[in-house]
Amino acid sequence: MLIKSSDELPRKTLFKRFPIPRNAQVPPEFRIQPGKVWPEPEGAENVKRLRIFRYNPENGKPPQIDTFTIDRDDCGPMLLDALLKIKAEIDSTLTFRRSCREGVCGSCSMNIDGTNWLACIRSMDELDEPATIYPLNNLDVIRDLVGDQRHAFAQYAAIKPWLQAEAPSNGIEHLQSPEDRNKLDGYYECILCFCCTSGCPSHWWNGDRFLGPAVLLQAWRFLADSRDQATAERLDELEDPFKLYRCHTILNCTRTCPKGLNPGKAIAEIKAKMITRQS
Amino acid sequence: MNNPSRPRSPHVQVYRPQLTSVLSFGHRLSGLFLSLGAVLLVGWLLTAATEAQAFINLNAWLGSLLGLLLLFIWTLALFFHLCNGIRHLLWDAVIGFELVAIYRSGWIVVFLSIALTLVTWALALWQMG
Repeated sequence: MLIKSSDELPRKTLFKRFPIPRNAQVPPEFRIQPGKVWPEPEGAENVKRLRIFRYNPENGKPPQIDTFTIDRDDCGPMLLDALLKIKAEIDSTLTFRRSCREGVCGSCSMNIDGTNWLACIRSMDELDEPATIYPLNNLDVIRDLVGDQRHAFAQYAAIKPWLQAEAPSNGIEHLQSPEDRNKLDGYYECILCFCCTSGCPSHWWNGDRFLGPAVLLQAWRFLADSRDQATAERLDELEDPFKLYRCHTILNCTRTCPKGLNPGKAIAEIKAKMITRQS
Repeated sequence: MNNPSRPRSPHVQVYRPQLTSVLSFGHRLSGLFLSLGAVLLVGWLLTAATEAQAFINLNAWLGSLLGLLLLFIWTLALFFHLCNGIRHLLWDAVIGFELVAIYRSGWIVVFLSIALTLVTWALALWQMG
């Protein structure tokens, strides 16, 4: 029951989803329909079934859930391997983002069995039977598992994620002590996969104005950086009811981060700094 | 963000309830229930101060099975909101944010609020004889 790191899976769950209608708040033309059940591989003993969200804007059909069955003995160990196998051998129209296949680029973030994670570091052993895969939550779906992240990245740009400082006094580089550099640990490692932001209920309800945990983690990364000289301006930017203060410490973000980072803590640090700078 | 020609990927419809989100929702729900109960408390006090008959009637309803059940749930909401509120205050002081601490404090809040509710009701029923 005690989860020590975000890669641990829940042992038992009373509910797999909140007890609300499956298609709550969805316009009728986008209600998810049951989709195609693809043929099973012949002679396979170790099979895995995957239920995957499909949407093709070009065929005029509503989104649907397709069921694929793959032979685990003929497939790599991770969920991304299964998706690539499906795309190569079963349905080449399956669309998803992927790049590094080792959990450092943040491309393959998606909602796997109800929580957000990277497909390339989610082992097939850790999936439910059948596994259920949706695109990252609360994004406009471009196609299948690909969501429109432009708004999320626009929010990221809005916090000015670069060092703002005068030219360094020694004319060469901004000096920083090892202690000050250690203050960035746990914040600079963010790969901008947006698993946290997509899992934040506050961002679901107010995503147009609330910045979300990923962006706020990066805001703290620059606030905590001793080399940055625009601290006051950065904090002024966050002084409004929505950008920072829609965070109610729900902490889905910290629970789901595939890199084990702590956006909830970063946001609490920002809130503390907003108070202490006034004193 | 709002492109009506594209479907929005499901969020609350599919996201797995976890201790984090469930306790947070519970905090909000218990707060709401506490507010409603507080209104009832004011009504009870008013009848106690004014009409004796209304006070007697209200007490009889509160003593019924439904009334006792609602009072029990209100006590549970009170203790849960109190314990989780302290957890929130600690978070505001940036204490207890490591995932293991979040889960440990979360389970402590759940068990402590149930225990406090049961103790309170045991004491109340024992006092009543």
